[in-house]
Amino acid sequence: MSWLRLSKSIIHWLLAAVIVFLIITGLGITEHRIVGDLSFGLLNKALAHKIHTMPALWISLLALLLLHIFLPFIGRKKN
Amino acid sequence: MDNGADETTELEGVEIREYEGEDLSSIDEFIENSIKGPQYVDISEYRLRITGLVENPQSYTYDEVIGGHQNYKKVVTLDCVEGWSVKILWEGVLVKDLLLEAVPLPDAKVVIFHAHDGYTTSLPLDYIVDNDILMAYKMNGVTIPPERGFPFELVAESKWGYKWIKWVTEIELSDDENYRGYWESGGYSNSGDLDKSFFEYY
Repeated sequence: MSWLRLSKSIIHWLLAAVIVFLIITGLGITEHRIVGDLSFGLLNKALAHKIHTMPALWISLLALLLLHIFLPFIGRKKN
Repeated sequence: MDNGADETTELEGVEIREYEGEDLSSIDEFIENSIKGPQYVDISEYRLRITGLVENPQSYTYDEVIGGHQNYKKVVTLDCVEGWSVKILWEGVLVKDLLLEAVPLPDAKVVIFHAHDGYTTSLPLDYIVDNDILMAYKMNGVTIPPERGFPFELVAESKWGYKWIKWVTEIELSDDENYRGYWESGGYSNSGDLDKSFFEYY
Protein backbone atom coordinates (compact mmCIF):
# COMPACT_ATOMS: atom_id res chain seq x y z
CA MET A 1 0.00 0.00 0.00
CA SER A 2 2.73 2.45 -0.95
CA TRP A 3 0.13 4.89 -2.36
CA LEU A 4 -1.34 5.19 1.11
CA ARG A 5 2.07 5.85 2.66
CA LEU A 6 2.75 8.48 -0.01
CA SER A 7 -0.65 10.14 0.56
CA LYS A 8 -0.03 10.28 4.32
CA SER A 9 3.36 11.81 3.77
CA ILE A 10 1.99 14.46 1.37
CA ILE A 11 -0.85 15.31 3.77
CA HIS A 12 1.53 15.62 6.71
CA TRP A 13 3.80 18.01 4.84
CA LEU A 14 0.90 20.02 3.39
CA LEU A 15 -0.63 20.34 6.85
CA ALA A 16 2.66 21.51 8.29
CA ALA A 17 3.03 24.04 5.47
CA VAL A 18 -0.48 25.43 5.97
CA ILE A 19 0.06 25.75 9.74
CA VAL A 20 3.38 27.56 9.25
CA PHE A 21 1.77 29.79 6.63
CA LEU A 22 -1.06 30.70 9.01
CA ILE A 23 1.40 31.46 11.81
CA ILE A 24 3.52 33.68 9.54
CA THR A 25 0.53 35.58 8.17
CA GLY A 26 -0.90 35.93 11.69
CA LEU A 27 2.39 37.40 12.87
CA GLY A 28 2.28 39.57 9.75
CA ILE A 29 -0.80 41.23 11.26
CA THR A 30 0.19 41.56 14.90
CA GLU A 31 3.96 41.98 14.42
CA HIS A 32 3.82 43.67 11.04
CA ARG A 33 6.96 45.76 11.49
CA ILE A 34 9.15 42.69 12.14
CA VAL A 35 7.57 40.48 9.48
CA GLY A 36 7.58 43.33 6.97
CA ASP A 37 11.30 43.89 7.51
CA LEU A 38 12.16 40.18 7.40
CA SER A 39 10.23 39.75 4.14
CA PHE A 40 11.80 42.90 2.67
CA GLY A 41 8.39 44.53 2.59
CA LEU A 42 6.77 41.77 0.54
CA LEU A 43 4.42 40.64 3.32
CA ASN A 44 2.86 43.83 4.65
CA LYS A 45 0.08 43.89 7.22
CA ALA A 46 -2.75 44.31 4.71
CA LEU A 47 -1.54 41.44 2.52
CA ALA A 48 -0.94 39.21 5.55
CA HIS A 49 -4.45 40.02 6.78
CA LYS A 50 -5.97 39.21 3.39
CA ILE A 51 -4.20 35.85 3.18
CA HIS A 52 -4.78 34.98 6.82
CA THR A 53 -8.54 35.49 6.54
CA MET A 54 -8.99 33.61 3.24
CA PRO A 55 -11.73 31.01 3.77
CA ALA A 56 -9.96 28.64 1.35
CA LEU A 57 -6.93 28.53 3.66
CA TRP A 58 -8.98 27.59 6.72
CA ILE A 59 -11.03 25.04 4.79
CA SER A 60 -7.75 23.51 3.58
CA LEU A 61 -6.49 23.37 7.16
CA LEU A 62 -9.64 21.63 8.33
CA ALA A 63 -9.63 19.14 5.44
CA LEU A 64 -5.95 18.31 5.89
CA LEU A 65 -6.37 17.98 9.64
CA LEU A 66 -9.26 15.53 9.22
CA LEU A 67 -7.29 13.50 6.70
CA HIS A 68 -4.28 13.58 9.01
CA ILE A 69 -6.40 12.20 11.85
CA PHE A 70 -8.36 9.55 9.97
CA LEU A 71 -6.03 8.37 7.22
CA PRO A 72 -3.88 6.26 9.58
CA PHE A 73 -6.95 4.11 10.34
CA ILE A 74 -7.28 3.14 6.67
CA GLY A 75 -5.41 0.01 5.83
CA ARG A 76 -4.55 -0.75 9.44
CA LYS A 77 -4.24 -4.52 9.89
CA LYS A 78 -6.36 -6.17 12.55
CA ASN A 79 -4.55 -8.42 14.97
CA MET B 1 9.92 87.92 48.76
CA ASP B 2 8.13 86.19 45.90
CA ASN B 3 8.30 82.46 46.43
CA GLY B 4 5.67 81.71 43.79
CA ALA B 5 3.11 80.71 46.40
CA ASP B 6 0.39 82.66 44.62
CA GLU B 7 0.84 80.74 41.41
CA THR B 8 -0.98 77.52 40.68
CA THR B 9 0.64 74.89 38.54
CA GLU B 10 -1.81 72.55 36.86
CA LEU B 11 -0.75 68.93 37.13
CA GLU B 12 -1.89 66.27 34.70
CA GLY B 13 -4.85 64.37 36.07
CA VAL B 14 -5.53 60.68 36.24
CA GLU B 15 -7.56 59.28 33.39
CA ILE B 16 -11.27 58.97 33.97
CA ARG B 17 -12.93 55.58 33.43
CA GLU B 18 -16.59 56.57 33.52
CA TYR B 19 -18.37 59.44 31.78
CA GLU B 20 -22.05 60.29 32.05
CA GLY B 21 -22.92 56.75 33.05
CA GLU B 22 -20.78 55.09 30.39
CA ASP B 23 -17.84 52.87 31.31
CA LEU B 24 -14.68 53.79 29.40
CA SER B 25 -11.73 51.69 28.37
CA SER B 26 -8.28 52.53 29.71
CA ILE B 27 -5.78 54.27 27.45
CA ASP B 28 -3.47 51.35 28.31
CA GLU B 29 -5.80 48.99 26.43
CA PHE B 30 -4.63 50.23 23.03
CA ILE B 31 -2.29 47.92 21.17
CA GLU B 32 0.67 49.73 19.62
CA ASN B 33 0.58 48.89 15.93
CA SER B 34 1.91 51.97 14.16
CA ILE B 35 4.20 51.68 11.15
CA LYS B 36 7.39 52.94 12.83
CA GLY B 37 6.67 52.72 16.54
CA PRO B 38 5.80 55.56 18.93
CA GLN B 39 6.77 59.04 17.76
CA TYR B 40 8.10 61.63 20.19
CA VAL B 41 7.17 65.01 18.72
CA ASP B 42 9.10 68.07 19.91
CA ILE B 43 6.20 70.38 20.71
CA SER B 44 8.36 73.53 20.60
CA GLU B 45 9.09 72.78 16.94
CA TYR B 46 5.67 71.38 16.13
CA ARG B 47 3.44 72.99 13.52
CA LEU B 48 0.12 71.75 12.17
CA ARG B 49 -0.08 72.79 8.53
CA ILE B 50 -3.23 73.08 6.42
CA THR B 51 -2.19 72.84 2.78
CA GLY B 52 -3.34 71.90 -0.70
CA LEU B 53 -6.51 73.24 -2.29
CA VAL B 54 -7.12 76.07 0.14
CA GLU B 55 -7.19 79.85 -0.25
CA ASN B 56 -5.21 80.55 2.90
CA PRO B 57 -2.71 77.85 3.89
CA GLN B 58 -2.29 77.77 7.65
CA SER B 59 0.41 76.84 10.12
CA TYR B 60 -0.53 76.47 13.77
CA THR B 61 1.41 75.81 16.93
CA TYR B 62 0.03 73.23 19.37
CA ASP B 63 -1.33 75.98 21.62
CA GLU B 64 -2.91 77.83 18.71
CA VAL B 65 -4.83 74.73 17.67
CA ILE B 66 -6.22 74.13 21.15
CA GLY B 67 -6.53 77.70 22.43
CA GLY B 68 -7.73 79.27 19.23
CA HIS B 69 -10.66 77.00 18.56
CA GLN B 70 -13.80 75.76 20.28
CA ASN B 71 -13.10 72.52 22.15
CA TYR B 72 -15.46 69.56 22.08
CA LYS B 73 -15.63 66.19 23.77
CA LYS B 74 -17.45 62.97 23.00
CA VAL B 75 -17.26 59.26 23.68
CA VAL B 76 -16.33 57.27 20.60
CA THR B 77 -15.23 53.65 20.20
CA LEU B 78 -12.20 52.82 18.10
CA ASP B 79 -12.46 49.43 16.34
CA CYS B 80 -9.21 47.99 15.04
CA VAL B 81 -9.07 45.55 12.13
CA GLU B 82 -7.01 43.30 14.44
CA GLY B 83 -10.16 42.63 16.44
CA TRP B 84 -9.77 44.78 19.54
CA SER B 85 -11.70 47.95 20.40
CA VAL B 86 -11.56 50.74 22.99
CA LYS B 87 -14.25 53.17 24.14
CA ILE B 88 -12.65 56.50 24.97
CA LEU B 89 -13.73 60.03 25.91
CA TRP B 90 -12.06 62.21 23.30
CA GLU B 91 -11.48 65.94 23.65
CA GLY B 92 -10.34 68.08 20.79
CA VAL B 93 -11.16 70.56 18.06
CA LEU B 94 -13.30 70.08 14.99
CA VAL B 95 -11.30 69.49 11.83
CA LYS B 96 -13.86 71.52 9.90
CA ASP B 97 -13.13 74.57 12.09
CA LEU B 98 -9.49 74.37 11.03
CA LEU B 99 -10.44 73.87 7.39
CA LEU B 100 -12.85 76.82 7.42
CA GLU B 101 -10.01 79.15 8.40
CA ALA B 102 -7.98 77.89 5.45
CA VAL B 103 -11.03 78.24 3.14
CA PRO B 104 -11.21 75.14 0.94
CA LEU B 105 -11.34 75.74 -2.81
CA PRO B 106 -14.39 74.41 -4.70
CA ASP B 107 -12.34 71.58 -6.23
CA ALA B 108 -11.36 70.19 -2.82
CA LYS B 109 -13.04 66.82 -2.31
CA VAL B 110 -10.64 64.79 -0.20
CA VAL B 111 -8.79 65.49 3.04
CA ILE B 112 -5.39 63.81 3.24
CA PHE B 113 -3.85 63.55 6.70
CA HIS B 114 -0.10 63.24 7.14
CA ALA B 115 1.63 62.02 10.28
CA HIS B 116 5.05 62.56 11.81
CA ASP B 117 6.11 59.01 10.96
CA GLY B 118 5.18 59.27 7.27
CA TYR B 119 1.82 57.53 7.67
CA THR B 120 -1.04 58.96 5.60
CA THR B 121 -4.74 58.36 5.25
CA SER B 122 -7.59 60.17 3.54
CA LEU B 123 -11.27 60.85 4.09
CA PRO B 124 -13.90 62.65 2.02
CA LEU B 125 -14.30 66.34 2.86
CA ASP B 126 -18.07 65.88 3.18
CA TYR B 127 -17.55 63.16 5.81
CA ILE B 128 -15.30 65.45 7.86
CA VAL B 129 -17.77 68.35 7.72
CA ASP B 130 -21.05 66.46 8.06
CA ASN B 131 -19.95 64.31 11.01
CA ASP B 132 -18.16 66.95 13.12
CA ILE B 133 -14.97 64.93 13.10
CA LEU B 134 -12.63 65.69 15.99
CA MET B 135 -8.89 65.96 16.09
CA ALA B 136 -8.23 65.01 19.68
CA TYR B 137 -5.52 66.20 22.08
CA LYS B 138 -6.93 64.47 25.17
CA MET B 139 -8.26 60.98 25.84
CA ASN B 140 -10.12 60.13 29.05
CA GLY B 141 -9.27 63.59 30.37
CA VAL B 142 -5.50 63.37 30.04
CA THR B 143 -3.23 64.68 27.31
CA ILE B 144 -2.72 62.03 24.65
CA PRO B 145 0.58 60.31 25.47
CA PRO B 146 3.30 60.03 22.77
CA GLU B 147 2.60 56.30 22.39
CA ARG B 148 -1.03 57.07 21.51
CA GLY B 149 -0.48 59.93 19.08
CA PHE B 150 0.59 63.14 20.85
CA PRO B 151 -0.03 65.88 19.90
CA PHE B 152 -3.14 65.00 17.87
CA GLU B 153 -5.09 61.92 16.88
CA LEU B 154 -7.98 61.94 14.45
CA VAL B 155 -11.25 60.59 15.86
CA ALA B 156 -12.56 59.03 12.67
CA GLU B 157 -15.80 57.71 14.12
CA SER B 158 -17.63 55.02 12.16
CA LYS B 159 -14.36 54.17 10.39
CA TRP B 160 -11.89 51.33 10.98
CA GLY B 161 -8.91 52.10 13.19
CA TYR B 162 -6.41 52.62 10.36
CA LYS B 163 -8.29 55.85 9.54
CA TRP B 164 -7.60 57.16 13.07
CA ILE B 165 -4.26 58.69 12.18
CA LYS B 166 -1.94 59.60 15.07
CA TRP B 167 0.81 62.25 15.34
CA VAL B 168 -0.97 64.46 12.77
CA THR B 169 1.32 67.11 11.27
CA GLU B 170 -0.43 68.16 8.07
CA ILE B 171 -3.96 68.31 6.69
CA GLU B 172 -3.96 68.55 2.91
CA LEU B 173 -6.99 69.21 0.76
CA SER B 174 -7.03 67.50 -2.59
CA ASP B 175 -9.22 66.80 -5.60
CA ASP B 176 -7.79 63.28 -5.99
CA GLU B 177 -10.70 61.05 -5.02
CA ASN B 178 -8.63 57.98 -5.82
CA TYR B 179 -5.90 58.87 -3.34
CA ARG B 180 -4.98 55.94 -1.12
CA GLY B 181 -3.16 56.24 2.17
CA TYR B 182 -0.49 53.96 3.63
CA TRP B 183 -2.54 50.88 4.52
CA GLU B 184 -5.15 51.57 1.86
CA SER B 185 -2.37 51.23 -0.75
CA GLY B 186 -1.56 47.87 0.83
CA GLY B 187 -5.08 46.55 0.32
CA TYR B 188 -7.34 47.87 3.05
CA SER B 189 -10.60 49.51 1.99
CA ASN B 190 -10.29 53.16 1.01
CA SER B 191 -13.62 54.10 2.54
CA GLY B 192 -12.76 52.36 5.82
CA ASP B 193 -16.45 52.19 6.72
CA LEU B 194 -17.00 50.30 9.94
CA ASP B 195 -20.20 48.67 8.68
CA LYS B 196 -18.35 47.12 5.73
CA SER B 197 -15.42 44.77 5.38
CA PHE B 198 -11.99 46.34 5.66
CA PHE B 199 -11.14 44.49 2.42
CA GLU B 200 -12.78 45.75 -0.72
CA TYR B 201 -13.03 42.40 -2.50
CA TYR B 202 -15.15 40.64 0.14
